[in-house]
Amino acid sequence: MSTSPPPQSPPSLDEEIESLQTRITHLKKQLQLHTSTLLTAPSTRQLLLSSASSSSAAPLLLTLPSTSSTASTSSPADQKAFKETLLAKSNSQQAHHQATLYRACATLTTFRATDPDPNAVDSGRILGLRIEVVSRAKFLRPYYVFFNRPFASLHKNFLRVHRHTVPQCIPLAGLANRYLPAPSSGRKQDLAKFARQLRREVVRYHHRLGVVANLRKGAGIGKQEAEGTEEEEEDKPVDISVADAEAKQVTIEWADGRTGRLVIGDDGEVVDFVVVAEDGGRDRDAGRGLLGGGRKGPVEEVVSRLASG
Amino acid sequence: MSRIQIPSKTRLLPSTQRVSPTSPSLPKLLSKLPRQSLISLALDWLSEENLPLCPPFLSSTSDYDSDDGSSDFYPPLPTVEALRQEYHSLLSQKGSKKDIIDRILKGDWRKGLTLYQVAMVDLQVLYESASSVSWSAYRIAPLTASADDEEKEEEVVDKESLRIPRFHPSSFLRALQGEILSDMKVHFTFDRHKALPLLILRVFLLDSPYGNTGTSSKEATMGKVVFVSFPDGSPHIFISKASTFTLAAAATIASNGGQARGAGESKSLRTLLVEGIPKALSRPRERVTLLSTNLTTKNLEGMVHRKGGGRQNFAGGGWGGYADEKRKESPLDTVMPKTAEEEGSETETEGRQKRERGHIIGRAEREEEQARRRAKKVAKARFGDTGKMGDGKGVERVDIVLEDPFKGPRRGNPKGGGDKGADGDGDVEMGDGDDSGNGEGEGEDDFRPNVRLTFHGSHVFAGIRQFVEAGIIDGEKMPGWMTDEEGVTVGAVRHGRIRGNKGSGV
Repeated sequence: MSTSPPPQSPPSLDEEIESLQTRITHLKKQLQLHTSTLLTAPSTRQLLLSSASSSSAAPLLLTLPSTSSTASTSSPADQKAFKETLLAKSNSQQAHHQATLYRACATLTTFRATDPDPNAVDSGRILGLRIEVVSRAKFLRPYYVFFNRPFASLHKNFLRVHRHTVPQCIPLAGLANRYLPAPSSGRKQDLAKFARQLRREVVRYHHRLGVVANLRKGAGIGKQEAEGTEEEEEDKPVDISVADAEAKQVTIEWADGRTGRLVIGDDGEVVDFVVVAEDGGRDRDAGRGLLGGGRKGPVEEVVSRLASG
Repeated sequence: MSRIQIPSKTRLLPSTQRVSPTSPSLPKLLSKLPRQSLISLALDWLSEENLPLCPPFLSSTSDYDSDDGSSDFYPPLPTVEALRQEYHSLLSQKGSKKDIIDRILKGDWRKGLTLYQVAMVDLQVLYESASSVSWSAYRIAPLTASADDEEKEEEVVDKESLRIPRFHPSSFLRALQGEILSDMKVHFTFDRHKALPLLILRVFLLDSPYGNTGTSSKEATMGKVVFVSFPDGSPHIFISKASTFTLAAAATIASNGGQARGAGESKSLRTLLVEGIPKALSRPRERVTLLSTNLTTKNLEGMVHRKGGGRQNFAGGGWGGYADEKRKESPLDTVMPKTAEEEGSETETEGRQKRERGHIIGRAEREEEQARRRAKKVAKARFGDTGKMGDGKGVERVDIVLEDPFKGPRRGNPKGGGDKGADGDGDVEMGDGDDSGNGEGEGEDDFRPNVRLTFHGSHVFAGIRQFVEAGIIDGEKMPGWMTDEEGVTVGAVRHGRIRGNKGSGV
């Protein structure tokens, strides 16, 4: 062999390893998916349940994985233990399926958790509330609210928000004070109402963000502007952005220096729309044109009007 | 139609106001930047949009006598274009930072840097050395007229309000000018943070006792600089500690007076801002106030992480796993999510295989290995993905006061927390003061030592996590406030839990 190794070989080997690694993870995922499908398939369950009930009389279709060295000499006891673990796995998978079904359809689900803090109140028992949000045809990471019961035995069932992952722009503290007041206030708590209101606020927020994204899309912002058509169209919006934390106000900037403020109401209606010219004067015509006469129309109409020009 | 002139505008210092080149603060400020950024900053000043605010000294425009040029170390160049060329060539050359600072102060901007330029330098320093300023977070809370007392019209924090305070930069600035006292002169600069979702306002305040003498360059004038930053999508503001900036070379007597006053004044400026900002943020019928959040740190990134617009605000420490947006948890995913134990066991088997291949290990060694793995797992459970060295979200100081009795009748052993804290991280100050504590209404025989813990270090909670991983702190018995769950840097502990601003809850 020559003393100098071929210069290409180390990177290509690395690449090969990397591609193999990605393939391994991909195959592992595939395997998991098939396992979960097979485990919950009606026929598998039937087989598992029937063979479990009728002891070892029926001929077993299930065998231990061939990789295990004891497969050929497996005793009936081993096979039974294997079957039981399979059944347990199938059951937990079934439970998981049911949970995801509820999560997808009800979008408001609760679960139990434990506070790891050794000094936590109520020995760390936590009620978790999970809020699913769909945005742009995708389920986002759910928002969580965790409750504990810090109050004395007389008000044992009074909840308190312990931790949550709801963003700051959702008035969670206000809602909690309204629907989950402390026992000292003398009012009753209403968890269901709190959860519904909170979910409504969260969904509204995401809808507003979606509307702003649609506005941008309608006005053609964010696409490639290589053609340099900005100069020709003076009345084209050049920027549309959210102006406040709650995404209730939207700023629109036109190429000719005009700026607009669109205020979105709770139900997605336009509350107000003001266009200010570059010199500080109001451009009432443009505002009226985009509003389309009526004040309280849905924001989507503004989107379509912006898109049409 | 011109904008309406507001009377308060006269208090505003123009951006073109020059700072005397002899000011001792200028070289100090400039030397905080590396050479590269100094040159690129100078090139920024020479760009078309900034040029009117940062006019350089040119031989063509000023009454420069070329005969004097022989003794001039940095002869002025005729045009801006030539100057740009010069700085571009400096960029590729090697040299010392001192040369560039000298060139800027004694050569091209020998008449002094404008306030605009100083603001640019200051902001650049802020971006490049993140820990140069100490920040405190405040929550903006809506106010309402209290229902009990209608004659007094006292305003209380409206806990049931669903309004999220909103903020409009230019109207806020206009209102803030109204709040600044009339004998002060101010200069404001707004800038967007380069990397973080923040809007930064730099306030330069010239507090001169006799109104208009402030602008004369003969007087020694001390200015104060405060940064205020507004995180996107979060009703919080971060206010920095005030720093001093000297406008001109100090005349001896005046400067001495100034130095002496300095400390007290920078505090009063901060209070002035803390009082003025909520008024400036308020609108008719929508009053707001600022509430302290007990969070003070030099790390702006950590601040944004804890009080920004994300999901982590009330889910610190181990709860952070629920806030992690990277983890997918779609209800349409039929594959069972792996529990932490399963993930752990996978790596465990791999590790075991590796070891078995190598050599047979002794029992003691195996036990040690198991204990270490267990400690790691516990740390993972308590801290989640937070508190890792190098995540850039560390706080450098945490102060805790323990208010629990020495042998609490209710809870296990609150003293345990103190002991572990002492092992915690770096230097710990155990202030064992008077035990005449403030236990009102508690049993007389309760022994309440006044224990204060101070954790110092570059990343306090990462340090505690490392101790847990090393098995020095028992991760399972460690109180929750040691995992940064509360997101505070100052707090009082009672019954083993932080009872600070909000305690546990919202």
